[in-house]
Amino acid sequence: MSRTASSWLSEAAAVFAKEWRCELRTRYALNTVLLFAFTTLVMVSVALGPMGVDSVARATVLPMLLWLILLFAAAAGLPRVFGHEEEKHTATALRLAATPSALFCGKLAFSLTLFAAIEALTAPLFLAMMQLPVAAPGHFLAALVLGGWGLAAASTLVAAIVGQARGQSTLFAVLSFPVLLPLLLLAIEATRAAVGGGGGADSLSRLVLYDAAMTVVSLMLFPAIWNP
Amino acid sequence: MRKIAPWLLWIWIIGVIWAAFFYAPLAEGFVGQSSRILFFHVPMAWVSFVAFLAAGAWSIRFLAGGRRVAHDHAASAAVELGLLFCVLATVTGALWARVMWGAFWNWDPRQTSIVLAMIFYAAYLALRSAVEEPETRRRLAAAYAVLGLVVAPFLFFVLPRLTFSLHPDTVVNLRGRIEMESRMRQVLAASSLAFTVLFFWIHRIQVRLKARAERAPLGRTRP
Repeated sequence: MSRTASSWLSEAAAVFAKEWRCELRTRYALNTVLLFAFTTLVMVSVALGPMGVDSVARATVLPMLLWLILLFAAAAGLPRVFGHEEEKHTATALRLAATPSALFCGKLAFSLTLFAAIEALTAPLFLAMMQLPVAAPGHFLAALVLGGWGLAAASTLVAAIVGQARGQSTLFAVLSFPVLLPLLLLAIEATRAAVGGGGGADSLSRLVLYDAAMTVVSLMLFPAIWNP
Repeated sequence: MRKIAPWLLWIWIIGVIWAAFFYAPLAEGFVGQSSRILFFHVPMAWVSFVAFLAAGAWSIRFLAGGRRVAHDHAASAAVELGLLFCVLATVTGALWARVMWGAFWNWDPRQTSIVLAMIFYAAYLALRSAVEEPETRRRLAAAYAVLGLVVAPFLFFVLPRLTFSLHPDTVVNLRGRIEMESRMRQVLAASSLAFTVLFFWIHRIQVRLKARAERAPLGRTRP
């Protein structure tokens, strides 16, 4: 049975379309994750206020808070990418229907777009509420995109692992945070540089390295995780 | 031979301990006798690095080479022992930091990376205990250990360059040379050899214990 590239692509696209259709039917991830991000954002903003942090510390503290909000938003929403397949007992059907790599690419594309949507709504709101001016908007955007990519890719792989274990929500945090910590430190570093307006190219290129390594190894590992 | 070998190892280790205190000179620029901890701290860190690397290698063999249970036992035993040596390296490092830097802990990049490595492999063990079905457990754990091979270079090579570190040069430093007095270098090499052999010896025993626990009809199966 030989599969051509176009059938592989259409499988991946079908998985991607199915994920979004399910998502738009329930709006579970969008509603809960966005509300979660918004609530933490409000909490941070109320606790600190626009003047809560002095102007010197702002550029160091606020980028870190932004990434913490995004990290916990990802941890709240992304485990479901695979979790709901096991919950609804659709995993076996999915195993029969799609090749593992196409399935993973479809799921990854869904995670990426979902997380991009979360970032697109959270980050501007954060900047506005905290009244944080960004000196280098291009670098800031690059840090968000690259950090979001790594966060979504690593979370999707860990979600695939956790989906087959019990105690899912706590286990996801335990397994994904050590994988994500290097990424977060790099992303925080890049965002700080963007807010401060100087450099950051180093951290950005390391982020690209992390994203590429994570994506490649995910594609290699996923068949072993998925197929019993 | 099998009976004599452990005794040879013990004699070797006693020799290393003696040499660390009476043969090797003190390094310049260190408080008191504190530089002697080098002969124990560095091999511990080295062994934990070897252990985690070996766990990754055995996990790859498990996934790619027919899913043999022995490879999974080897990987999990390596992670357990690696964690033990990682804790020892962290504690000896913290003691030395208290003497040299005045505080047990100050999030020096090296301290950050060793703690993150420790959290990662502790999570590996948490994953093993969370999956009940043995075959699923082996498969998922192996995949997570391979993921560790991707995360580790970022912990050990990328992160320490983000900020300034007070940690003395690692044995082979950025200039790519070993800059150490020759007697110190001899003792360090002897000690590293002793610790590495010790690791593989305990590892063999652990793997045999795991295999036996699995065969035992009513025995507990260890995760």
